[in-house]
Amino acid sequence: MDTFLAQLPQQIINGLTLGAVYALIALGYSMVYGVLQLLNFAHGDVYMIGAFIGYGVMVALIPDGAPLIAPVFIIILMLLLAMLGCGLLGVAIEQFAYRPLRNSPRLAPLISALGVSFFLQNAVQLTLTAEFRNYQTELLIPPGAGFDFGDTRLPMTRALVIVVTIILMIVLQYLVRRTKLGKAMRAVAIDREAAAMMGVDVDRVIVATFFIGSALAGAAGVLTGVVFTRVWHFMGFTAGLKGFTAAVVGGIGNIPGAMLGGFLLGLTESFAVGFISPTYRDAIAFIVLVIVLLVRPRGLLGARIPQKV
Amino acid sequence: MKFRKLMMVLPVFLVVLSIVIAPTFAQSPVIKVGILGPFTGPAASVGTEQLNWAKLAVSDFNDATGWTVELVEADTQLDPAIAVTASESLIADADVYGVVGPAGSQEVAAVGQMFADASLAHISGSATDPSLTQGDFNTFFRTVPTDAVQGPSDANFIYNVLGLTKLYVIDDQSSYSAGLADQAEEAFIAAGGEIIGRESVTQDDGDFSSLVTAIDASGAEAIFFPGQIASQGALVARQIVEQGSDLVLVGADGFQNIDDFIIGSAGAAEGAYVSSFAPDVRGVASSAEIMNRYIEQYDDKFTSFGPPTYAATLVILEAIQRASDAGSLSREAVLAEVAATDQELSVLGIPIAFDENGDVLGASFYMFQVVDGAFVLVPSATAMPEPEATEEG
Repeated sequence: MDTFLAQLPQQIINGLTLGAVYALIALGYSMVYGVLQLLNFAHGDVYMIGAFIGYGVMVALIPDGAPLIAPVFIIILMLLLAMLGCGLLGVAIEQFAYRPLRNSPRLAPLISALGVSFFLQNAVQLTLTAEFRNYQTELLIPPGAGFDFGDTRLPMTRALVIVVTIILMIVLQYLVRRTKLGKAMRAVAIDREAAAMMGVDVDRVIVATFFIGSALAGAAGVLTGVVFTRVWHFMGFTAGLKGFTAAVVGGIGNIPGAMLGGFLLGLTESFAVGFISPTYRDAIAFIVLVIVLLVRPRGLLGARIPQKV
Repeated sequence: MKFRKLMMVLPVFLVVLSIVIAPTFAQSPVIKVGILGPFTGPAASVGTEQLNWAKLAVSDFNDATGWTVELVEADTQLDPAIAVTASESLIADADVYGVVGPAGSQEVAAVGQMFADASLAHISGSATDPSLTQGDFNTFFRTVPTDAVQGPSDANFIYNVLGLTKLYVIDDQSSYSAGLADQAEEAFIAAGGEIIGRESVTQDDGDFSSLVTAIDASGAEAIFFPGQIASQGALVARQIVEQGSDLVLVGADGFQNIDDFIIGSAGAAEGAYVSSFAPDVRGVASSAEIMNRYIEQYDDKFTSFGPPTYAATLVILEAIQRASDAGSLSREAVLAEVAATDQELSVLGIPIAFDENGDVLGASFYMFQVVDGAFVLVPSATAMPEPEATEEG
């Protein structure tokens, strides 16, 4: 019991950091599903591209071990450029891989998504090789920097991830709840035809959804790079899978659900490693999620859109 | 008229004739040596170091003998499935008379039978799983000692030299890592120590923070993590520092890379220990020339991971030379010459000869510590000699 309590705060911090990344990825899945009823399997690879963009910006601004501008600005720039780049990538994917299949059977865009996923992974591997790249976070944030609460330590990098994620989520909530675009997105999620009849430009809403969802994935990629440092062409696979799972657990199509699912998955994984066994980490995390779905098949916060017959 | 026509045709005819005859006066046949290694992927930095040393060996050999042996690179990304495809292409190339590698024990396990069937000798400068030389891979050799020695020597170092009695052992689920972790665990308990925990992670894992938190709270004093991916070692080291823990990290040969482990941990690896299958060539006086050529052509960041590959490449090249001089250049002949290798002095400072299983004779393990950003030999742990050949796998 002692070791349990001793570890608990630290494991919570670990879990929240992981959960933040999963939540950002899950948001993209949920938003796209809500609007298009499509599972965008290429989403994990958009996250990977975001990590690479952040890496590129970092390398460009830290040519020889010395940052050209203040680290804070470098991080902000990395985030902004990755979000912009991934947003545009998401829009491009929608344009070329999903829009032509808008009226096809549901399976077709799904396969198309898988195809885009393979394309992105291999495109990166062919152009940038399968070499692992490392973020030199230590040049932006000193490794020992952090906040100490007794025995528990909140490293600066993790605090950054959690804070940025919370900020992005607040912005997203504001966007969805208080702006006209958000209202349009919610309308399209409820009933696309009715929304069109009400004068909503459905195509524009879909493009905006993809842009925002992919931008969030891009931010997740950069944050992952900052904390976990390793970046490579295949990193989107597991992260995408877990983000998708988190979205489903929270209730696919539900934005707060995606946030909740992401943090829940992150905490479950960290606790599994810390208190049970790292060997079975993934197995335990997914078993817990299966149990959640058995108890609440629609996900924790339930699907907001009633299924149409 | 006829004479003029003849004069016009004659030079053309002569040129064509010489082109047709030329091959029979050509130089020695094309000779290639293949190298299998993880030149990209998670272990790219150690793979590239091996590749550079192999290239140096080939160019040194070519300069010394006047031959033009070609090195054929085959990237495996440390993935056994890719290693199989890469090996197939090397085996299918009839000009390849010997192969260096593969680097990872799991890769050797995947391709050993293919090479044995093709009678193509392959020498690894880094695969240390003991079981590889106990089976049917009769064309497999290695210039490094096995984990049957490394496990006990590492465990004894932690217990006796470092005086740490509570150990947490992690492996990365590869055959090399799990095997070595098992050996070390057994030896540590036999020496009188306590194993606080034994877990595994995967080679894809990017986050060790929860694991380090758990290990820190468990009362362990040291972590033994014989992983193949040096960047994972760096991540563990970072977490130890970030969480303000005083755990001692001990890794094995897979972590011995300056770029991935030392630089990649941003200084967090300072003080960590790494055991290795070869001495630091910088301390071997007889290899100074070779080393200086390497530094000139490549860089100064090599560790003891690369030189055994230089030794392996040279063994193959010299075997090819002896087979060719004896008049019968074939894969079987090269294989026989490799088995009969009796190099007096190699780049590692020791002679190279193989026992009947393909293991090198007389090699030992060395312990290094990360001090001031470099791997420094720990004197009290050198030369734990190879046990008698009856050691089990």
